[in-house]
Amino acid sequence: MSMYCFLPTPCKRLAGRAFVAWGRAPDSLAAGSWLLGLVLAVGIAGPLEAQPASRPKVDFQKDVAPILRRHCLSCHNKEEQKGELSMATPEDLLDGGYVVPGDVDSSAVFELLVAAPGEPRPAMPKTGKPLTQKEIDTLRRWVAAGAPWPKGMELTPLRGDANWWAYQPLWEGDPPQVPEAPPAWRKNPIDRFVYARLQAAGLKPNPPADRRTWLRRVTYDLTGLPPTPEELDAFLKDRSPQAFEKVVDRLLASPAYGEHWGRHWLDVVRFGESNGFERNIIINTLWPYRDYVIASFNQDKPFNRFIIEQLAGDVLDPHNPKVAVGTAFLVCGPYDNVGNQDPVQAAIIRANTLDEIIRATGEAFLGTTMGCARCHEHKFDPIEQTDYYAWYATFAGVFHGEREIASPQQREARLQKLRPLWNEKGRLQRQRDQLVGRVLARAEKKRTSYEAAWTREPVSRYGTEERFPPVEARYVRLRVLGLDTNPAARTGFRIDEFEVWTAGPQSRNVALLSAGATAEGKSRAAEDFADAYTAQRAIDGDFGTRWIAAGPELVITLAQPQRIQRIVFSSDRPRALPPTHGYTTFVSEYVIEVSLDGKRWATVADSRSRRPVNQPHLRHRLLQAEMTAEERRQLEQLETRLAQVQRAIAAVPPLPRWWVGQMRSAPGPFHVFAGGDPQKKADPVVPRSIAVLERTAGKYQLDAKAPEGQRRLALARWIASDRNALTLRVLANRVWHYHFGRGIVATPSDFGMMGARPTHPKLLDWLAGQLRKSGWRLKPLHRMIVLSQTYRQSSAYRPEAARIDGTTELLWRFPPRRLTAEEIRDTMLSVAGVLDRRMGGPGFRLYRYLQDNVATYVPLDRPGPETYRRAVYHQNARAARVDVLSDFDAPDPAFACPRRAQTTSPLQALTMMNHQFVLDVAEHWAGRLRREAGQGPEAQARRAFLLLFAREPDREELQRSAELIRRYGLRAFCRALFNSNEMIYLD
Amino acid sequence: MAEKSSPAARCMARVLSRRGFLDDMFTGLMGIGLLDLLARDVPAAQWVPGQGMPHFPAKAKRVLQIFCPGAASHMDLWDYKPELFRRDGQPLPGEENLISFQGKNGPLMAPPWPFKPAGECGKYISTMLPHLAKHVDDIAFIHSMTSKSNTHGPACVFMNTGQTAEGFPSAGAWVSYALGSENRNLPTYVAIPDIRGEPPNGKANWSAGFLPARHQGIVMAAHRPVRNLATPESISIEEELATRRFLNFLNRKHLEQRPGNSELQARVAAYELAARMQLSAPEVANLAAEPASVHKLYGTEDPNRLKAAYARNCLLARRLLERGVRYVTLYCASRASGVDGLLNWDAHKTLKADYQRHCPILDQPTAALLTDLKQRGLLDETVVIWTTEFGRMPTRQEGTRGRDHNPDGFTCWMMGAGVKGGTSYGATDPFGRRAVENVTTVWDFYATVLHLLGLDHTRVTYYYNGLDRRLTDVAGHVIHDILA
Repeated sequence: MSMYCFLPTPCKRLAGRAFVAWGRAPDSLAAGSWLLGLVLAVGIAGPLEAQPASRPKVDFQKDVAPILRRHCLSCHNKEEQKGELSMATPEDLLDGGYVVPGDVDSSAVFELLVAAPGEPRPAMPKTGKPLTQKEIDTLRRWVAAGAPWPKGMELTPLRGDANWWAYQPLWEGDPPQVPEAPPAWRKNPIDRFVYARLQAAGLKPNPPADRRTWLRRVTYDLTGLPPTPEELDAFLKDRSPQAFEKVVDRLLASPAYGEHWGRHWLDVVRFGESNGFERNIIINTLWPYRDYVIASFNQDKPFNRFIIEQLAGDVLDPHNPKVAVGTAFLVCGPYDNVGNQDPVQAAIIRANTLDEIIRATGEAFLGTTMGCARCHEHKFDPIEQTDYYAWYATFAGVFHGEREIASPQQREARLQKLRPLWNEKGRLQRQRDQLVGRVLARAEKKRTSYEAAWTREPVSRYGTEERFPPVEARYVRLRVLGLDTNPAARTGFRIDEFEVWTAGPQSRNVALLSAGATAEGKSRAAEDFADAYTAQRAIDGDFGTRWIAAGPELVITLAQPQRIQRIVFSSDRPRALPPTHGYTTFVSEYVIEVSLDGKRWATVADSRSRRPVNQPHLRHRLLQAEMTAEERRQLEQLETRLAQVQRAIAAVPPLPRWWVGQMRSAPGPFHVFAGGDPQKKADPVVPRSIAVLERTAGKYQLDAKAPEGQRRLALARWIASDRNALTLRVLANRVWHYHFGRGIVATPSDFGMMGARPTHPKLLDWLAGQLRKSGWRLKPLHRMIVLSQTYRQSSAYRPEAARIDGTTELLWRFPPRRLTAEEIRDTMLSVAGVLDRRMGGPGFRLYRYLQDNVATYVPLDRPGPETYRRAVYHQNARAARVDVLSDFDAPDPAFACPRRAQTTSPLQALTMMNHQFVLDVAEHWAGRLRREAGQGPEAQARRAFLLLFAREPDREELQRSAELIRRYGLRAFCRALFNSNEMIYLD
Repeated sequence: MAEKSSPAARCMARVLSRRGFLDDMFTGLMGIGLLDLLARDVPAAQWVPGQGMPHFPAKAKRVLQIFCPGAASHMDLWDYKPELFRRDGQPLPGEENLISFQGKNGPLMAPPWPFKPAGECGKYISTMLPHLAKHVDDIAFIHSMTSKSNTHGPACVFMNTGQTAEGFPSAGAWVSYALGSENRNLPTYVAIPDIRGEPPNGKANWSAGFLPARHQGIVMAAHRPVRNLATPESISIEEELATRRFLNFLNRKHLEQRPGNSELQARVAAYELAARMQLSAPEVANLAAEPASVHKLYGTEDPNRLKAAYARNCLLARRLLERGVRYVTLYCASRASGVDGLLNWDAHKTLKADYQRHCPILDQPTAALLTDLKQRGLLDETVVIWTTEFGRMPTRQEGTRGRDHNPDGFTCWMMGAGVKGGTSYGATDPFGRRAVENVTTVWDFYATVLHLLGLDHTRVTYYYNGLDRRLTDVAGHVIHDILA
């Protein structure tokens, strides 16, 4: 195992900076000549081409190393050595003749750095920007100067450092003045930033979209739902200057806002309601976190508070479910719960689990890919391994699971109800034990006489045989009265084969599927493979398969009546497992009966004369034999009362027990794991701030012995501090991202070197500053954005603008977008008038959940009205594909999803045309149209267009709609509209 | 599937093809090629993914992957270890107290069946696989495979995606992304699950991960049609046609008002491909079109229900490959059950009984598929790979007659286009405990598969969350020794 990086994600370097092997290498130089070069370099001017005398001397460290690190080292580094070339040290450059000290013309490297005639770009670097002429000149001068390379210096790829833009304090200047802009664009500071940037690129914005378009856009944007015809009508009629503000305020106050924006946040935090990996067991107590997220957005909870609650809500207010629920953030990701007896593997699994939490935290709040620093220093960003392991120490006490959240008072109140019941239960149990004890004590004295009747071998899992006088039988029945693991239980045993042998010579087993026999008996269910454990397994002739009983009876029907005289049955005939193994639980007491007609049964054998198979069995036997009728009555009475008390105990309402993680003390010391390997403990670490951010965000450091909760709280406060510009930027950018479909930084969870650069850095900082000023509240920011001219523009396409800015990142128009999966489903239900708007509580499921050791999620063919809720309430299990939602890119929360994909596939078409859900909802919509628009096809079509597209149909549309409705009914028409581009693409 | 599809769907298929309906309806795309529209992932540079362009001349056009979930034991099937027969019941030298996935291990355990030399190359193969043994002269065995995980879920996903965590694209999705479709009517990548259920970690094994969703494996099997494929029974052909015409009218009108939006066009094209799939998928799944001799060869009528079901899937796989499906993954067995080794090759407790059940299911149908591919010349363009999560321990688990998980050495194999048959590459130690010679990773394995497809595995990349990602992570070396 040691040969691998332990990281589950690739990270060692830029995986895709693919270089094909360099061309034929020039003759190599002897290694010694390098030294010669170094020696000669001293005092050699060495300019092989004319250089102004004033040019300063080349300094390797200052001038050359940055060029190599920026352009070359990401592939030609010590580990990767693309094309068998490492530029970490000079040897390979020399050996390959790429660099010939003092001889620029012979140095092959320059041929590769300059584009050959007719080629669009130089051979190197393969990706990224070619070197500038100035950089090439610097390299020439360096080679000419003998290519000095300080002894022992090893280069690494260029990484960001503390000067990286994202780590700076917020820029706090004023929005630019844009005197040339139309007056409407000079008011809102956002518009001034955007206009100035457009102007710099030689672009002008689009005119405003019409009111209808803006209303549809903003309603989806803030609530994820279409505007109703009534809302449209009211807005179109409202000519007051505040018309737009009124709409925005109404939408921001709608609970649908939190449902929609809460869903965005659930993407960011990889919220999934099953544990993933092989078992992928569903989690039913995670929905309170989803409700908490929705509520937090709706009440516009200050986001810094929201962050702190998610990392350490349990520390802030341990007994308040509304706060402590926040830490579900830490444990709503996937984790491997299969269990591993191999301690080395188990340690890796635990490290993987913490790594998942560390990455989720770094990406969600800081836009920083912390995971890259697990095995080595981050290759691109200035995150050190010690930073990573400081977080490891911070989260070391977090375990996945449920916890009861309640105050001491709540607990005490509950205990007060329980205590008398527990006492009663104890009293009854004692009485029962005394009674049983008395009986057993009596029995013990007569034990020898009882035992005298038990003459036969005990039952055996490896084969239990019964012989009896030959008897004619068509049916053979096994009735189980006790198990070898629990003499009082009658089901849950396993039988690998149950053989019925004929009488007479050439005796043969007739209880075989292959002989036409059948077997019936309740069995454990495995829905995805129905035959897995059925009673047929007991007569399939295969000792490797077993019937797993879920009832106490097995009935075997022979192909025809037979004279039989011997039965052999077992749960482990090959003797593969020890006789106590859980896989082969067997019977202890049983009766075997036969019948010819299936109605009248005759007993042919039972277990009474067998010796008990183990101690519990012996006790059970003695008890049953010795008990008087009166004692039996007493015992039954006691058991009845015990069951009553047990029910009363169960009826006491439980305290909230939610999937918020279990926090354990997990004391230090903590260490860096060299290479990410938990077996290789290196330098000690303590919980502390990320070093490179300290200049801006401040600094903290805790003792290795700091209590577990304090470690998380310190990190939370540091991340959510007003000084932490990175957190504010990441947050402001996410808001922008969801409004415009693209962030100012296009990679919302990666603000590092590998992420995108901001298109409007000052605007981003200004927005972040606004956020801070408004006390980390999002609603004022939304308001400012959606009321801006930038947001109000039409989405019309202008080829000449697209030539300059094809991706619309400078916002010369409003970027059109496709609805999300949730919006599509919610829209259908909403226009059909069947969307169930009840908020919160356990989620609905669009799959059938099957669990047989591992979980399987089978998508529903016909989800019923109980699923007609907003999609945010779907119980989002990992790796469950559920038609409309999955087809339209609702993420499988294996990872965080900071940016939704927006794909187009034929599967979408198949689902939207053929899935029963679409037909059912189309039917509901048809009903609504008939109710609201009467029987006329034209009126129905008009109403439908208004509901779905927020517009009237034109004449041609109206005519063709009416045609379809007349001919094939409203459902056909509704089904067609659900498949239209206009429904799912937003202008 | 075709035989089971609704009367309406069958009837519609006839009507649609007769009327040339599709061509009639979708020619409104004004010179924009369908494949072009559906295959835009990156701006064109040099090599363009999804356009059928390899980096260098390819040996193979497509891939058939046969996956035996549950960790099929290398030393009981492919990797002959005479030492295990000699030292049955003796401790494993140097690892007398071995603790592995499920706990303590007992002494060495001999395979339940002898091995016999097969083919001209004389390769020793378990006598439990008599039919597959006939193909050894075409197979290149890699006996030195290693995995990163000793747990089924992560290891199964690792074998399919090159990553132990879920959420990464599977090899089929990568190939779909890199090369695109070879046909106009069927999916590019098909996953055929076993009748016994999905493999460990289920759908993560054919996921498109962060690649565009159209690269995901489309699930179909002889026992399971493509989901939502058939037009609902309640909709007549006439209604369906009228609805599509009306929809087309709406979409075209909408599109005309929004020039410059290729996504809108792409969606219209996706509806076209879907309609074509509605015709083609039932056709490809119509196994009744095959002659009786073929059915006999595969064993589709075998009284062993599980074997017959797998045989039908083998036959389906051939029909898919024949029609230009780029990547087919065929599963033989499924997930972990309440009893290890029941539903898949995970023989923890009763290896002999388990493999007596699994080997016959795998053997004849798979061998028939290979024979059939060869006879039809398809093997000249198809690389066949046989994979499993990891291997098993040479010891028996304490107190059982089964073997525990072993990620340190196991066998996978390849055959077909560009592969040197009759080869054995790499080796485990004399007990099969660890790969010791030419130790091979899953990344090496896929670097080789991509190489056969004409792709440089380091150049098939996709940016996602901080990195340009690859099927081969940051590793992988082409195994030249097994190339023809």
